[in-house]
Amino acid sequence: MNKKIISIFFLLIILLSITLIYNFYDKVGTDEKQYDSSIETIDENNVSEEIDDTFIEEDEEIEIGEMV
Amino acid sequence: MKKIWTLLIMLMIFISISSLAIADEVEEDNDDEEEFGEENEGENETEDLDIDNKTVEEIKIMNNSLGAEIRLLQLQKAIVKNLLKGEMAVEVLKGLGYNTTTLEAILSEMKNLLEEVKAVNTSSNDSVQIFVEFKSQAKNLTKQFRETIKEILDGEKLREIRERIREMISEELENYSKMIRNKIKQFNRNQLYKLYGIIGEVNNSFVEKYLNGNVSLAQVKLQISKTINQMNKEKKYEIFSEIKKGNIKKKIHAQASMDDMKNKGKGKGNGKGK
Repeated sequence: MNKKIISIFFLLIILLSITLIYNFYDKVGTDEKQYDSSIETIDENNVSEEIDDTFIEEDEEIEIGEMV
Repeated sequence: MKKIWTLLIMLMIFISISSLAIADEVEEDNDDEEEFGEENEGENETEDLDIDNKTVEEIKIMNNSLGAEIRLLQLQKAIVKNLLKGEMAVEVLKGLGYNTTTLEAILSEMKNLLEEVKAVNTSSNDSVQIFVEFKSQAKNLTKQFRETIKEILDGEKLREIRERIREMISEELENYSKMIRNKIKQFNRNQLYKLYGIIGEVNNSFVEKYLNGNVSLAQVKLQISKTINQMNKEKKYEIFSEIKKGNIKKKIHAQASMDDMKNKGKGKGNGKGK
């Protein structure tokens, strides 16, 4: 009787440990994936946007509104 | 047997609670992130209400005297343009026999403002603050003029005057345009050399071609983009990060100037009433 209780108890402890470990690694994996994707997403548009930000357009004007 | 079942059920409950606790924790993290995002969005909205985004964009280049000089020249040009339009409108109104005293008083204030803008020292640490204040004043005077003229004339006559003013050609404005274009070319040349410094190669003939007007700014941007995109992933990432870092620094500088002005209580009222 006692042996059976202890076996079930250990079985459940193992089950609980597996659940916790799985959860932990799953979360770490997701974080890493997010980090990796931020590096991978540099495409031609990203580069162009940053270059656009570096220069000023020659015909740029300051707007203060119309008089009439 | 009863004991075993009780123990089994208790442990099942325990596992369920632990799983729920973990799930809740992850959810809370997500909620925090979302809340943080919403808070930031809210902050941006508040910023939009106090200071218009265009002005923040404009002051991004004012961390050096050439950038400050460009923005102040552009402001001068905007004031001159409105002054000329205002004077033309007053002439038309005078011809029609209207009383233009209030309008002339606004134009006189605008002239004084123009002189003040011309006298700004572009190397001064306060040039950003002065620019924002003067731009705000120019906007307010323009608004005052527009509202006053609206009270004097009906819609049709206003349209007529608007049409006459639109055709206005001025040598003074042309000179401003040329001067500003030259300064912007100098600024862009400096930026181009900075980019070449990050990339690690210089194309002097290309810079010369840009300065002479043989190559447009769009072509310059395209050439730089191509050069970076042809590089290997690591080098491309390294250069991209450097350029982005520089742009973020400019944004932080602009935002810091705005915050500084707000703290001093002088930034308020930009784009709004006096």
